[in-house]
Amino acid sequence: MNKVNKIISVTVLITFLVAALLTGCSNFKNNDSSNDSKTSLVGDSNEEYYMVTFLSGIEYWKGCYSGFKDAGKLYGIKTIYTGGIQYDVNQEVTALEQVIAKKPAGIALTCINPDAFKVPIKAAMDAGIPIVTFDSDSPDSGRYSFLGTGNKYAGEVAAKALSEQLGPKGGEVVAITNPIQLNNEERVNGFRDAINETYKNLKLVQVGNGNGDQTEAAKVLSGLLQAHPDIKGVFCTEATSGVGAAAAVKEANKEGLVKIVSFDTDKGTLDAIKSGTIATSIAQGTYVMGYQSMNFLFQLKHELINPLKDWKAKGINPLPPFVDTGVYIVSKKNVDSFYTK
Amino acid sequence: MRCLEEKTMSSDKPQNKTFNWRTLNTIWEKITSFREATVVLIIIVIGFILSLCSPHFLTMDNLMSVTIGLSAEGIVVVGMTIALVSGGFDFSVGSVMALSGVIAGELYLLNVNIWLACGIALLVGMLFGLLNGFFIGRVGLNPFITTLAVMGIARGWSYVITQGSPISILGVSKSFTFIGQGKIIGLPFIVIVFLAIAIISDYMMRKSEPLRKVFYTGSNEKTAILSGIDTTTVKIGVYLFVATLASVAGILSMARFTVATPATGLGADVSMKSISAAVIGGVSLSGGEGTILGAVLGVILLNLINNGLILLNIPVYWQDLMNGVILICAVTLDHVSHKNRQKNLKGKKFKGV
Repeated sequence: MNKVNKIISVTVLITFLVAALLTGCSNFKNNDSSNDSKTSLVGDSNEEYYMVTFLSGIEYWKGCYSGFKDAGKLYGIKTIYTGGIQYDVNQEVTALEQVIAKKPAGIALTCINPDAFKVPIKAAMDAGIPIVTFDSDSPDSGRYSFLGTGNKYAGEVAAKALSEQLGPKGGEVVAITNPIQLNNEERVNGFRDAINETYKNLKLVQVGNGNGDQTEAAKVLSGLLQAHPDIKGVFCTEATSGVGAAAAVKEANKEGLVKIVSFDTDKGTLDAIKSGTIATSIAQGTYVMGYQSMNFLFQLKHELINPLKDWKAKGINPLPPFVDTGVYIVSKKNVDSFYTK
Repeated sequence: MRCLEEKTMSSDKPQNKTFNWRTLNTIWEKITSFREATVVLIIIVIGFILSLCSPHFLTMDNLMSVTIGLSAEGIVVVGMTIALVSGGFDFSVGSVMALSGVIAGELYLLNVNIWLACGIALLVGMLFGLLNGFFIGRVGLNPFITTLAVMGIARGWSYVITQGSPISILGVSKSFTFIGQGKIIGLPFIVIVFLAIAIISDYMMRKSEPLRKVFYTGSNEKTAILSGIDTTTVKIGVYLFVATLASVAGILSMARFTVATPATGLGADVSMKSISAAVIGGVSLSGGEGTILGAVLGVILLNLINNGLILLNIPVYWQDLMNGVILICAVTLDHVSHKNRQKNLKGKKFKGV
């Protein structure tokens, strides 16, 4: 299913890019002054594109925004980063509404909660401000597109990484998740399905609840290592439990005997990969999320994407509703590239 | 376990004099009259069931891993018990834990010696204790809202310092990681610290004057003031102590994981957990009653249940539910038996030191 989805989204994307280029050329004919063929891909320096996030201080968004900014530079427009500092729905909605009030050229938004943003997104779209969501979606809001990690696919990649780590002999593995988070659950489901269907050298014996806390995750893995002494690998669906898992493996004197596949690329995880306590981690395509969000917004604002006649008037969405921005496998070999400056 | 036996004996001495004409009955009375008896009994029963259900439960490795896991939490529980006995509680423990780790880690990254960094972090933690104590003891604010606000400040500050991402202190000196990962004669250092803190505090709670004052303050503040106890100082002292212990737990956790996370104690909610551990162990939510031993037994019980759910392969979705059911049973059992015991001991009410 997932592959089919991906193929469709990629094909659609290519179609739109081609369409964008063609419209770009036809638009060019209408432009009077410049004779540079790249003109239609250059915006006004007063155009403002916003990225709005929640927990806006965390490192994770830095990757997204640097992609957003880099793409923005290509068009010569202004990019601005803002959001709610806390993990608070109200705060982020307020931040978004303030941004909308400034009538920007476009907004890339990550949604702390899918439903809370339906109304403000609709209002912005009605006012002619294009909005795409990235990382965390609000599917029923009418946003043009969502660019994010296909979490089920990320889980499949984790299974692949763990399978490669353990070699053909494989063995028993466990997963540590945080069941209250849907994305964590999707990762585990992808992991489980991939093991059942493809990576038959692995056997998923149990799934534990790390509660998003390193001490809890360490407790859980310690228990699991007792219950299943032959465990050879662990998949942690988020970075905090990866750190906890590393401590548990060390405390059980099983360093090197139990391979850990973690998630994301905060410095603790990267250091642990470098020192070998964590074997690999799954990095999300945060840069791509920001980069392609900017591209989409610019194309929408300048009406460069016109796959169908009068799509705007007829209420047809010219963009793919979902773009999987992919994942990378971080290992000792390539870990250095993932440190942010 | 050794500490448990000691406590059994010491807490029963007063009753010994009145009951020494009985024989077998005496021993039974002795065991049941000891406040923490029910929790011990529940622990034994659960331990017995678990060892029947899973061959992996009653192994040195498993029990040791459980003990390591509960140590940081246990240190916080000791502080929380004293806060509860004083008639308050402290929601800021988890955030002070996180902040101490974060400050020590950040200073270390700024090339400050790690021990000095920990000293500073400890002082900052204590400062937050003073802040709690000042507003609760001196200004007279409610502990609920005060510690909630201080929690926000401490958590917020750790987010500001780290910009939300965990601090990695990999490569820190071995002497520092020793306090979180090392062992002395087979016993993890972190466990030794926890036991030392628990045993000393338990003893002090029973014998030392300053901590007895906490009981008086908690059971009836007006009477305490009338009998010349400076309850303001007592409260400031209590919250200072709680925050110090939370700081110690935060620094030990950082040494254990070589990572300081601003979200430490958030997902698992350390303050809520330590309050429930204390209450399971017989500490009263309305103050004036409870022992460290009981609270430590409470935290052991909570962690054994947790361990059991993992060993028995209970799906994650069921674990919270099972936890809740077992907890309410344990607390009810303890409450009922405590009531009966009080009925039996009518007229022999505890008179203080």
